[in-house]
Amino acid sequence: MSGKQRTATYPVGDSYVSEGVIAAASSGPAAPGPAGEPGEPLLVVEDLRVQFTRGGRRINAVNGLSYELLPGSMMAIIGESGSGKSVSSRALMGLLPPTATITGSVSFAGRELIGMPEREMRELRGGDIAMVFQDPARSLNPTMKIGAQVTEAIRLHSDSDRKGAHARAIELLRMVRLPAPERRFHEYPHQLSGGMRQRVMIAIALAGEPRLLIADEATTALDVTTQAQIMELLVELQQRLGMAVVMISHDLGLAASYAQDVVVMYAGRAVEHAPTATLFGNVRMPYTRALLGAIPALEREPHSLFEVTPGQPPDLSALPKGCPFRPRCPNALDRCVEMPPFREHEPEHWWACWNPVGDETGNGEQE
Amino acid sequence: MTTAALPQVPGTRDPRVSRTSRVTRFAGSPVLRLVVKRLLMAIPIMLGVTVLTFWVLSLIPGNAAQQLLGPEATPEQVAQLEEQLGLNRPGYVRYGEWLRGAVTGDLGRSIVSNQPVSDLLGERLPVTGELVLLAFVVSLVLAVPVALLAAHRPGGVWDRISMVVSTAGLSVANYVLALILVLVFAVQLGVLPAIGFTPLSEGLWPNVRSLILPSAAIGLPLFCFYARFLRGDLVDQMQQEEYVTTARAKGVGSWQVLIRHAFRNSSFGLITVVGLNLGALIGGTVIIEQIFALPGIGQMLLQAINTRDFIMVQAVVVVFALVAVVANLVVDLLYAVLDPRIRYGSR
Ligand SMILES: Nc1ncnc2c1ncn2[C@@H]1O[C@H](COP(=O)(O)OP(=O)(O)O)[C@@H](O)[C@H]1O
Ligand code: SF4
Ligand SMILES: [Mg+2]
Repeated sequence: MSGKQRTATYPVGDSYVSEGVIAAASSGPAAPGPAGEPGEPLLVVEDLRVQFTRGGRRINAVNGLSYELLPGSMMAIIGESGSGKSVSSRALMGLLPPTATITGSVSFAGRELIGMPEREMRELRGGDIAMVFQDPARSLNPTMKIGAQVTEAIRLHSDSDRKGAHARAIELLRMVRLPAPERRFHEYPHQLSGGMRQRVMIAIALAGEPRLLIADEATTALDVTTQAQIMELLVELQQRLGMAVVMISHDLGLAASYAQDVVVMYAGRAVEHAPTATLFGNVRMPYTRALLGAIPALEREPHSLFEVTPGQPPDLSALPKGCPFRPRCPNALDRCVEMPPFREHEPEHWWACWNPVGDETGNGEQE
Repeated sequence: MTTAALPQVPGTRDPRVSRTSRVTRFAGSPVLRLVVKRLLMAIPIMLGVTVLTFWVLSLIPGNAAQQLLGPEATPEQVAQLEEQLGLNRPGYVRYGEWLRGAVTGDLGRSIVSNQPVSDLLGERLPVTGELVLLAFVVSLVLAVPVALLAAHRPGGVWDRISMVVSTAGLSVANYVLALILVLVFAVQLGVLPAIGFTPLSEGLWPNVRSLILPSAAIGLPLFCFYARFLRGDLVDQMQQEEYVTTARAKGVGSWQVLIRHAFRNSSFGLITVVGLNLGALIGGTVIIEQIFALPGIGQMLLQAINTRDFIMVQAVVVVFALVAVVANLVVDLLYAVLDPRIRYGSR
């Protein structure tokens, strides 16, 4: 672990640290939070908003997304295509084009990422926060050898020399179980299969020893068998290296099989968030219900979209007033023209709905 | 890309994958097939171009005999010389005769001066070659950094400046530019010669000095074109290609992403454009050589047309067409050498 900013962390009660230092550390503006302590989230996303301006039109891709992620855990973000999963995760890494306006707050290990200067952000990218993308055929540079692409990442985040980086690259390629890593090192991406390329992408992501790995539909482009292998690999690495993983997917089944927590997104917001078992045992959002209903558990196609969900996904440049799911919602009430708040209604179970599934009384919000 | 999606086991029987040894890779290689294909394609091109030239020349009034004897000559004198030069025979006979020589490498003798065409080409080609090379090198060497600077921040100050400059540069015809350059650097400032060519045998600097203005007249529009093309391609790569996002997600700095990642991929497009350009470019030398009184092949072409010396015209046309064909071949070969997807044959 790089420990760049963890050296500045003073665990409360540490006998070597005087009261004064603790006070100074926790009151200073740059004081990092006590990251890594059990119970303290690694990532806190609060009211994240992303708006694109394109040809005079405003596209509200993310509209007040909030969630928390514990260190070392695996969380899934699911939602239909266009619900803002990719945009929100790219926003927190500062990977969006300049046409994007980002507001809200993303705190990573106590550091605010939104508005962070590019120089600092660059240290974090590929260092403490890494990302794997959907299409392994397009996400590797076609004109560079595998080895060069892995060692580039290694050398950016450590001061190893050529030889050291080479050895480390082979080690990483072995860790992601790429067959014949020494030979593959000298090959180009097109000489590898899709699954192998995604393993290389993961090796690149691991180069900076990240504390957070975001896998954006990392298995969507792969066949079912390879998909399972890559997911197993991610789970294994997550446990072995103690890193947190956010797996973004439109595949509810995949999320259910691998993630500890699930965030359901709709129209750029989190609409339901709970530990996986809680969520699937006690669905509260009509939208999540619709997603589940759209996919009969046994006959589910591995890459099936939620095509049975009635109605169209919302137009992000003209969102309806109140709950964005209202035009498609079977539970809709008059009250739904007001935006339902996203709250922890039951222990560890958050949702944003006036009339949730299970207690359709017409006044689901009891307060 | 289709094969890439399949799992590839070592020792697979797919010939595109198992082509590991250097020897086998070359024998059935796409490179060799490419060269042969291109050379076969060149045959109809050369035939078409020379027939067309021959036919167009025959439509222009007057022939070499009349040009040689001048307006005072009597019809009898002209007819006599025509017979002597063989000009009274039908066109297809003369073309056939020329072609028979040409395929054996004998381009014949100038009708007007009776010198062997190959000697004349040997004198003139180096001048044009040097001019074109200089224009090329200068325009590319300038275009690459300007394009990188512009593409680093699309819509930024450098991008806008380079856009204005290149638009201006592209909208000026090269002969107008030539006259402006002569006016400024030769007439007003007097730092460079307005016309004439100094051969390399009289020293490198005098030689280069005599070519600065003509090569600038050819190279500046070229520079604008390359800079603009490369800038556009770089911006496309940066905005649309996922490998760029991967590089940025690794923590690679913006200049490094541009140079190490995007430029590498954009260079293929640039090579294509440069190669396709070469044919047009060498045609453009005709007028520039005329303006700057350079004893190149373009100047020779104009003289040959004026004297209706069809043998000489054919020779120049053949050279131009050959340059275009070879340039295209070189582009494809460069692709094969530079692009690993072709080098290791996957598509
Ligand atoms: N660069 C961009 N400019 C404008 N709109 C964008 C841009 N990137 C994404 N969007 C829009 O933002 C919305 C959310 O996209 P995304 O986060 O990619 O969805 P997904 O949940 O499928 O990952 C989509 O409607 C998409 O069209
Ligand atoms: S708030 Fe209303 S419209 Fe929105 S999901 Fe709940 S019931 Fe449906
Ligand atoms: Mg996406």
